[in-house]
Amino acid sequence: MTLTRRDFTAGLAVGITAPYVIGSARAQGATIKIGMCVPVTGPAAEQGLWAQNGAKLALAAVNKAGGVLGKQVELVIEDDQTTNPGIVLAFSKLAAQSDIVGFLGSIRSTQVHAMAPDVLKLGKPVMIGGTDPALTHMGNQWLFRFRPNDSYSGRVIADYGVNTLGKKKWAIVHSTDAFGTAGGKALASALEKLGTPAVLDQGYANQSQDFTPVVLAVKQSGADVLGTYFTFENDLGIFARQLRQLGVNIPWVGSPSVVAVSSTKLAGPALFGTYGVADYAEDSSEASKSFGKAYRDAYKTAPDNQSAWPYDALTILSAAINKAGSTDPVKIREAILATKKFAGAEGEYNFDQNGDGLHGYNVVRNEKGTIVYDKHIDFND
Amino acid sequence: MDLALQLLFTGIGIGAVYALVALGFVLIFRATNVVNFAQGEFSMVAAYLMVVFAVDLGWPYWLSFLLALAGMALLGAIFNLGVYYPLRHRTFLPVIIATIGASILLANSVLAIYGPQPQVLEGWFDTPGIQLGPVYLDSQYLLIIAVTIVLVIFNYWFFEHTMLGKKLQATSQDKEMASLLGISVSTMIMITFIYSAVLGGLAGILVAPVLFVSIQMGSTIALKAFAATIIGGFGDVAGAIIGGLALGIIETFGAAYISVPYKDGFAFLVLVAFLIFRPQGIFGERVAEKA
Repeated sequence: MTLTRRDFTAGLAVGITAPYVIGSARAQGATIKIGMCVPVTGPAAEQGLWAQNGAKLALAAVNKAGGVLGKQVELVIEDDQTTNPGIVLAFSKLAAQSDIVGFLGSIRSTQVHAMAPDVLKLGKPVMIGGTDPALTHMGNQWLFRFRPNDSYSGRVIADYGVNTLGKKKWAIVHSTDAFGTAGGKALASALEKLGTPAVLDQGYANQSQDFTPVVLAVKQSGADVLGTYFTFENDLGIFARQLRQLGVNIPWVGSPSVVAVSSTKLAGPALFGTYGVADYAEDSSEASKSFGKAYRDAYKTAPDNQSAWPYDALTILSAAINKAGSTDPVKIREAILATKKFAGAEGEYNFDQNGDGLHGYNVVRNEKGTIVYDKHIDFND
Repeated sequence: MDLALQLLFTGIGIGAVYALVALGFVLIFRATNVVNFAQGEFSMVAAYLMVVFAVDLGWPYWLSFLLALAGMALLGAIFNLGVYYPLRHRTFLPVIIATIGASILLANSVLAIYGPQPQVLEGWFDTPGIQLGPVYLDSQYLLIIAVTIVLVIFNYWFFEHTMLGKKLQATSQDKEMASLLGISVSTMIMITFIYSAVLGGLAGILVAPVLFVSIQMGSTIALKAFAATIIGGFGDVAGAIIGGLALGIIETFGAAYISVPYKDGFAFLVLVAFLIFRPQGIFGERVAEKA
């Protein structure tokens, strides 16, 4: 047998590349990869850090318990820059990695709307925290929500304000982004059903430096209770301070940002006495308490919904893949939808066929800076 | 009437913040003929320096204030040497791009060092504000307005009645002639950058108790300040002040009487109107291209 120059070159090429090819193949199969689009930069970078903390805490627990399908789980993070183009780019980068089996998307409804067409094209499960009710009702079977949607929050805010606090003249203040607009509409609709239509429905643009015109509108409306949907804690902090400075001290029942850790810190006494609907309330269940303790031990600070939903999302996604016994997207989807009575940090998950896992909210109040659990209101629809 | 008075006070307060940052834009433009898009980040960096000194280290507020301004003077000097000076003989475009790059670098450096959490910085006064009849006067806005008035007077005195101010003016008007007269142009430009960084920093420190300290605070203010500079007349100190105040008042009244969600729209509508009908701004003079 004679060795030709061509054989020698081919053999050399195989010899050199083989270890890399084998290594790469081994590396690809060594872990189960889950992608995460999260704001590392931009206005919600802080919230993004909390989300990563929650996801990493779940990741550690899942891996400690043996991982998924006998392999360790790896989280691949991409910065969504807190913008719609940013999350589309981040998701496309992650989607290009064929070995990623599932994703954690955004808590911002606007961003989920932006990425939704690409999610549909890719056909892999994406866990989301955005609360615009439309997100799971627009024919996209790959979106799974790990927070209760705003049709519930609107009803809980309205019910608590009208029936518990006994207030009838409502002023609604909401962001004009997808989340705020949907939330404002849900609250207005719930109030109409209770026979107490809002006397003021006031939108504002995110990242405002001054809320004096909004506060004066609330003051002039003669409202005796305030319902809010704020997207960013910074905006909420400025609004809260100006509200109190300009002498508006009516009861305030708001969406979860009112009782977020960051808002409580920024606004200080301006938020004392306010009520909030919160998907995460540490004292609402044993699972919530246990998550709260684990989070405090790991990060030396109290968690809120920003970290609770990614924790639940990664936990349930991992359990679903194990249950499906495969990384086939259709089987994972079926396993997520079959998840019932799962005790998560955010509450008890019972997925419906739309992909909504939670169907109620906690009501909490700010008692001199401490968030105190009041009650949980669940719905059957 | 009560509503209008309250809106007027708030409009002047927020307008004074735009004016302070706009002043920094104008001074650098006059000295170098380029727009420094990192001016807003100067405000953000100074606010974070205050947080480090006054909150994290617990040093006295006045000392933290002086140290933060000293830090800004140093940053202004470094900015000049690192961003403007190497490109000083190039056209304006590379310099502007360099300032945009520096702005991104500053924002992300602070993000990397300090993290994304917004911070609370208390104001100078223990009393948050005073009620004067129907109008609530926020003490921090009162301070901002007072500082703006003082700076307008100081700038007038400095540029018109001191030798250094006259040298700076001469440099901004004609660098070659100033050089022939024995003025060190590079020193004058260095002083301008230092002064502009300190002014931007001052705006950031003053507004931080109202808007909180965050990575985005600089860019949000700078965008409006840039619009104020164009409205006032690019390159005119009085124009920057008037433009800033006008913008603050217009957007506050526009939000209250027309539409809150389109508040930012009013500011930029005015900007577009000026660019179409009076591109030289309120105080600018129509200048023909040199033959």
